[in-house]
Amino acid sequence: MNDQRTILIRYDEIGLKGQNRKYFEKILLKNIKRALPGDKGIVYRIPRGRIMLDLSESVATACADQLSFIPGIASYSVGTSVNPDFDEMAALGVQWIEPLLKPGETLRFCVRARRSAKTFPATSPEINFEVGSRIMSRLGEKGLVVDIKNSDFTLEIEVGNNEIIMFDNRHPGLCGLPVGSSGDILCMLSGGIDSPVAAYLMACRGCRVHFVFYDNQPFLGRGGYEKVLKLSKIINRYQGRAKLFVVPFQDVQVAIRDHCKEENRVVLYRRMMYRIADAISRQYQLQGLVTGESLGQVASQTLENLAAVTCVTSMNIFRPLIGMNKEGIIKEAKKIGTYEVSIEPQPDCCSVFMPTRPVTRSKIPVLERDEEKILLEKLQVEAIANIETIYLDDL
Amino acid sequence: MIYLDSAATTPMDPEIISSLQEYMRDQFANSGAVYGIGLDAKKKIEEAAERIASALGVPPSHNVVFTSGGTESNNLFIKGLCFPDKKNAYLGLEHPSIIETLHSFKNFGNEPFSLLEFNREGRLDLSCLPLLKEKRIKLLCLSHVNNELGTINDPSPIISGLEKESPQTRLFLDGVQAVGKIKINKSMWTGLAGYSISGHKIHGPKGIGLLIYDSKLTLNPQLHGGKQQFGVRAGTLPTPLIMALAKTVERAVARQQETQEHFKKLQEHLIEGLKKREIPIVFNSSYGEFQSPAMVNFSFPPVEGEVMVHHLEKEEIFVGMGSACSAHSKEPSKILTGMGLTEEQARCSLRVSFSKDNKLDEINIFLHAFEKAYQKLLPTFKKRAVDE
Repeated sequence: MNDQRTILIRYDEIGLKGQNRKYFEKILLKNIKRALPGDKGIVYRIPRGRIMLDLSESVATACADQLSFIPGIASYSVGTSVNPDFDEMAALGVQWIEPLLKPGETLRFCVRARRSAKTFPATSPEINFEVGSRIMSRLGEKGLVVDIKNSDFTLEIEVGNNEIIMFDNRHPGLCGLPVGSSGDILCMLSGGIDSPVAAYLMACRGCRVHFVFYDNQPFLGRGGYEKVLKLSKIINRYQGRAKLFVVPFQDVQVAIRDHCKEENRVVLYRRMMYRIADAISRQYQLQGLVTGESLGQVASQTLENLAAVTCVTSMNIFRPLIGMNKEGIIKEAKKIGTYEVSIEPQPDCCSVFMPTRPVTRSKIPVLERDEEKILLEKLQVEAIANIETIYLDDL
Repeated sequence: MIYLDSAATTPMDPEIISSLQEYMRDQFANSGAVYGIGLDAKKKIEEAAERIASALGVPPSHNVVFTSGGTESNNLFIKGLCFPDKKNAYLGLEHPSIIETLHSFKNFGNEPFSLLEFNREGRLDLSCLPLLKEKRIKLLCLSHVNNELGTINDPSPIISGLEKESPQTRLFLDGVQAVGKIKINKSMWTGLAGYSISGHKIHGPKGIGLLIYDSKLTLNPQLHGGKQQFGVRAGTLPTPLIMALAKTVERAVARQQETQEHFKKLQEHLIEGLKKREIPIVFNSSYGEFQSPAMVNFSFPPVEGEVMVHHLEKEEIFVGMGSACSAHSKEPSKILTGMGLTEEQARCSLRVSFSKDNKLDEINIFLHAFEKAYQKLLPTFKKRAVDE
């Protein structure tokens, strides 16, 4: 067996695209190139309906692992190119299967060929038979049996116009659309479990998600800042080229704390967060805001309170978790690798700013009257002027 | 940077750093190996134990066991001697590595006996001793110096009191905040069942500590494996760390008198400085004979200690707000509430602790920054007090 491998990447929704398919393919290919090491002699190809990477065996596994972080990929396989010769195909199959056989035990296997090159003289079922029977003649006595429905080992053969690839693995991808195909948006990241999941889901819909964090220093320590940095780095692994905007928020909170009604505080903080996020989005031409809000999960996420924060901005607001329950969100957070960071014990708000009983059904005119008691625009301008911008790829 | 949190940890002494570097380079052999360099390492470890024993005045009746630090020493002694059914007592103001260890026995129906009602300004009132006999207590666990308050439990009267009132009760002291900071009375060892020490609290390396215990006692190992260290603590011994610890302890003990005098000046300056300011300060322990000069704990409600810590941090001043091990806990310090402080007083407190390297000028800078932050934060916290 030679030391060259081919990684075969199957699309997800791109496959359903019509005339603009090339646009999506181009973006996905760019994302793959960005994620993989640049100096490993990888050759990229786009035969119809697939992306293929030719590379050496020594880097194939590491590159394949990176593909599991790229939205837009349905699945991928690391395979080997073979000649149009059933004996050669069967020999490779034997080489892969034989080490898996154990004395006294049976191993169920099947061959699945897919022939896109109709010029190849055998049909897919014929290829299955020719290769499968040759392998059985070698390994049948050692416990190998054919089982098409419940196989332990599936040998796949892709017959294309110019090449035949064999593989014994098929890894699921993240599916969705390639990052960058939809546009750039801004996620309000708190350090909790929900917002990183919301950002990830939007990245899988083709958005490049930037982040904004409202920093409570020096009422709280740097722990919250470090935590959000870690979370945004994890999500950035799925997309790349994202920014994190750190907004000093303590002056806003102190003003609201000292001058506004206690029960309105949380909604008023959030209205300011939305306003600042709106301003950042406009400055950087971002096309929407994403939050981890889930209806009714906490006092600030009732219909009335969501309406009270939504009305301060005219941006698109995306709340991909709005109908999910906590268990479902936690499951996603564990899958994407943010859960363990999110549950690190770091307070996200100093207790002095929290009301004893936050309002659950706020009224917008009441909030607006409360906001007249603070220098809203001045606080907003000052907070924005002191934003720290972090380029996550540089970390 | 002004570092005033030496009860949490201390920076390593530059001389210890350079010695440790040398030891790490030269003393790599496994002290359990039978060839020459292994035997050399073993010899270095034995010498280190002897040097420590000599510096602290530990008699031959006691074994010196190297551990990873204070927490492990406390766990090893308490669990090794008492698990699962021997009765224990404690004051209730100890470090979590004692309290949580004792509480872990609860699952085996062995509830530790709290002596909190005998707390007198952070120390044990000896009138409790007859009760220990009545309750058939085998082990009394105390802090030699309390890690948040700095109050001292003087071992000598406790030992003689136990001999008289409850001879079956042995005494274990957590000495992590004591060695190098207060005078250690060498006569205490004969009456002590166990004593723990940590290297990093006295300008030594992290990851190395000691358990000194009466060799007549049988301790069940908590880590199983080889037969190192009297069969009490398995694992290859970290020769370089042990050698560095010996040097650290020797230096700490040698300059203890000088350090203590220095701490007293810093402590007095801080207390007087706080009293002079127009801030209603409550000192959380009395400052006299039974107080370590290495720390001052005080409350200043309604401003929260944690918020103060972060405001001081902005000025590059680092202080503590109780036990560093529970600094992320939202609950106020159990030691302070155990002392009778309200939850608010406990939340609104700081622990300032000194090292030999602190200067009086640094205390002045701290006082100024503290007052400035307090005045800035007061309106916001005052309003909360009114709201609630």
